[in-house]
Amino acid sequence: MMMVIVPIHQSYSAPTTTAEDTLLKDVTGSELQKIIDSYKGEKAVLVNIWATWCAPCVKEFPEIVKLQRNYPDDLKVIFVSADFPQQRDEALNFLKKQKVDWTTYFKTGKDQPFIESLSQEWTGALPFTKVIDMNGDLVASWEQSASYEKFEHHVKTAINP
Amino acid sequence: MKKQYLLSIVPIVLGVCLLAFLPSQEALLEELPIGSQAPMTDVEVKDVSGKMLTLKDVAKENGLLVNFSCNTCPWVAAWEDRYNPIAKLAKENGIGVVALNPNAAIRDDGESLQDMKQRAEKSNYQFYYALDEGAKMAEAFGATRTPHIYLFNSDMELVYRGAIDDNAKSAKDVEQPYLKNAIKNLAAGNEIDPKTTKSLGCTIKWPS
Repeated sequence: MMMVIVPIHQSYSAPTTTAEDTLLKDVTGSELQKIIDSYKGEKAVLVNIWATWCAPCVKEFPEIVKLQRNYPDDLKVIFVSADFPQQRDEALNFLKKQKVDWTTYFKTGKDQPFIESLSQEWTGALPFTKVIDMNGDLVASWEQSASYEKFEHHVKTAINP
Repeated sequence: MKKQYLLSIVPIVLGVCLLAFLPSQEALLEELPIGSQAPMTDVEVKDVSGKMLTLKDVAKENGLLVNFSCNTCPWVAAWEDRYNPIAKLAKENGIGVVALNPNAAIRDDGESLQDMKQRAEKSNYQFYYALDEGAKMAEAFGATRTPHIYLFNSDMELVYRGAIDDNAKSAKDVEQPYLKNAIKNLAAGNEIDPKTTKSLGCTIKWPS
């Protein structure tokens, strides 16, 4: 009689990547900068730092989603949630409710290096938005919420630098 | 004459042209620079006790600590366990303490003087908590978020600005107690380092 030995690793299910992992990925400030840089020469980039507890962020969020839908070929919107770790599920639920179907990010690490990696001028108030043109140059950055028209104005400049 | 006129307007025209190509950094308020005099020190603000105060009244022999704070910000809630210990440390070191609430746009939504009074009672605030009506103080300080810290010396010159420490979420995991160190160094006459720090926080709800 032959014995079949099944290697242990075959019966072990490795953790799989879920859709939720893809929708909201951990990111540090330096990793975020690399992600932004990866679009250089291809697309304009709009980075928006938000949180579920931030009323002005929640208010402007649908406008930014709309902007991404209206400029799918020329613009990459990069959302970064600055929620506390225990609010990660709330952030995920919010993204799903807003029908966001591309990868977004969840801030990890200390505040100061994260803030400074994005902008020397940003004081840390949320929301924060930064628009970068196709050449990787800064077009505009601001704290406080904005209207669709304001986002679009800067995005148009970023697309046609 | 004509040449002189042209010479005088050329730099202006060049400047305007250059500005048009600079990145726009709208609504990024300029925070009060280190070394600046405390603004609006004679302006009266109403404390939750009903008492009228000025920053000059609150300041003690070694200085003044101003914290722009509010009732509705999770970031304030996260740091709040450090509010009273810091106020105690400041008072022990001859520094007066006041928290100012600048959220003028949402006074009817959790940021009224009555709401502030309830918050101060619930959290047993051991320092003044006063209404920054119309967010005029926040504007003069260039404050942008809550909490946002400003520490002044005995001459009412700004010596530290920014965050309470480097870990809002957990007091026990703080590695850099920026404000505590600044208070101790100010009282001891030592150099304050760092003089400015940054942290995330809730944007101030400015009046429209």
